Amino acid sequence: MKKLTLRNIMLCLALSFFASGAMANNNTLLDQTHAAKGLKCASCHGKAEIREPVTMSKCVTCHNTQKLAAKTKNVKPTNPHENRHFGTETDCLKCHSVHQKSENYCGSCHLRFDFVVP
Amino acid sequence: MSNNDSKKPEAIDQYTANVLQNGISRRSFLTRAAVGTGAVAFTGLSGGMASAATDEACQNAAKSSDGGATLEFMPKPKPISDRLIVSTQTFDVVVVGAGASGVPAALSAAENGAKVAVLQKQAIVVSQGNTGSGIDLANSDKAGVEAMVSRLMSDSAHRCHPELVREWAYNSGEAVSWVIDRAKKGGAQIVDQGTKVQHGIRGVTEHKLNFVTSFCGPKPYTTGDGMRDLAKVAEKAGVKFFFNMPAQQLIQDESGKVIGVIAKDRDGKYHKYLAKKGVILSSGDYQNNEAMCNFFIPDLKHFERKQMDRTGDGFSMAYWAGGVIEPIGHTKMLHDFDAGPASMCDMPFLAVNRKGNRFVNETVEMSLMNNYLRDAENAGNYSQVFDSNYMDQAANWPGKLYSPEEMKIYMPEDPAPKVGVFASQTNTYSANTLEELAVKLECDPKTFVANVKRYNELCKTGKDDDFGKPSSKMLPVVKAPFYGIHRRMRISTLCSGMLVDKNHQALDADGNKIGGLFVIGNLGGGFYGGVDYPLTVFGLSLGRCYTFGYLAGRYVAKL
Repeated sequence: MKKLTLRNIMLCLALSFFASGAMANNNTLLDQTHAAKGLKCASCHGKAEIREPVTMSKCVTCHNTQKLAAKTKNVKPTNPHENRHFGTETDCLKCHSVHQKSENYCGSCHLRFDFVVP
Repeated sequence: MSNNDSKKPEAIDQYTANVLQNGISRRSFLTRAAVGTGAVAFTGLSGGMASAATDEACQNAAKSSDGGATLEFMPKPKPISDRLIVSTQTFDVVVVGAGASGVPAALSAAENGAKVAVLQKQAIVVSQGNTGSGIDLANSDKAGVEAMVSRLMSDSAHRCHPELVREWAYNSGEAVSWVIDRAKKGGAQIVDQGTKVQHGIRGVTEHKLNFVTSFCGPKPYTTGDGMRDLAKVAEKAGVKFFFNMPAQQLIQDESGKVIGVIAKDRDGKYHKYLAKKGVILSSGDYQNNEAMCNFFIPDLKHFERKQMDRTGDGFSMAYWAGGVIEPIGHTKMLHDFDAGPASMCDMPFLAVNRKGNRFVNETVEMSLMNNYLRDAENAGNYSQVFDSNYMDQAANWPGKLYSPEEMKIYMPEDPAPKVGVFASQTNTYSANTLEELAVKLECDPKTFVANVKRYNELCKTGKDDDFGKPSSKMLPVVKAPFYGIHRRMRISTLCSGMLVDKNHQALDADGNKIGGLFVIGNLGGGFYGGVDYPLTVFGLSLGRCYTFGYLAGRYVAKL
């Protein structure tokens, strides 16, 4: 995991002004975005000694999938948060990684779905 | 296996006998293991873990009928204990999997008076494709229907169960018409296209043969949307849908009868759904389960998957409950109706592989092309190549030609609005030079041009010295602009499954019915058997799903 430098935190804060959520800087990992918002490790991972992998049900305690889908409804070429496979309930972790670079999960099948995934 | 001490009647049909002998079941596994050493049998019984056996003798004994791979990827888990269950509900029928067979099954059961629950892994009803077909019995001669049955058995390399093919043949018209009627009530865009769209049945019979061809579309509307609309009708009929609720285990009583399902919600909590009449499994294939794919269809290794979350959960559950999986060498379905016009997919234009080499006698149908493209480099990719003379010169070829103007909806570089297609899957190009076309088709230009040149020479002589294609199908690529359709053979579905009888009830390794357990859709066995799904009847797959859902739902409701 990358270190949370003051610079990165400031960068995240600045970015969150310009682009809330969907259009965040490609180079910023989501753990930094989360940390900048005041989240601690335990916020997602819990306090248990043996940490379990975080599942989507944790994400949706803060991120409302319906609202998110509404927010990205004009994203081109299509709304990634409301799709033909999963409706609004695509598992967040298919695309978004928190401690490493996220990936454009759609792009492997859909030619020209060139999403930049925060 | 059980063939030595069988208590079954002598009259068992050939298909069932073969699956009992060579299919994969827990019973066959344990029996084979027991022949090796007593210790294995003990391990198997206590833990149910094939992989738990460690010494060499055990490993050797723990083999499937192919003598090779072990089944360690399907260890039977410990039963989920009652104290972990947070809720229990009782229904007549519990359907696992809400797709093209599960939704019709649920509605059919409800219409026949049953209280029905549907457990769905995803957050929505999921299905693919557009066309689902049945035979219009009232407008067909029996000899024509039987000719169709015979052709389908031939398409399936004579390895299918004739009784199940006839179940489709003699019930599908009624079932598909029922789906059309009910889906319309839910607001679905669904129509009957009749027999005229069935280009593939030419030559099957001289007798009267007509079809009910349901079509959910045009794209981007698909059967997924159609089934979501049908689910609304099912809900009105009293069916309860539970989404984000993947089934984990079947519940069996002491006699082995299946009496319910345990499912797990998003928060990891377990819920029990008891089924007084029966559980219908309709949870689809296993294309996203790598171990199962490697075992049952090793050919799949390098192909892309079209679907997600198809981890074969139904296979595991039915197998743990004593069901028999069809022997290795399952049937697969790989095609691409989105890159270019579907009706031109079997036209024998020049075809080149990913590098640009001609690789086949192009009269091979698209449904079989994947067999020539199994390696990592080709990974299912090939391109159909033709020139500006195609409208005249290919006018009598199988299928229906699209004019250059009509084809623009499949061309990502053309500004024409992409109506009636999946825009992100279109993959047809035109170019004024062969080199330019090669680049657009992602081929090596030098290789591509050399192959076109060679092909044109063969066309001139009328003798295909390289692959033996008939001269009438040797159409040279000479007049610009040139056209290419880059098709990607990816896995739509796998369509072999669990051994069932005519009523879709699962059978155990002794050929006896497993009480309360029914299997339909692509999880059901016996309907195919060839290397690939045949495209003779367009919409056979969905037509079979609708039909068996309709029949099984009614049958279980009436138990």
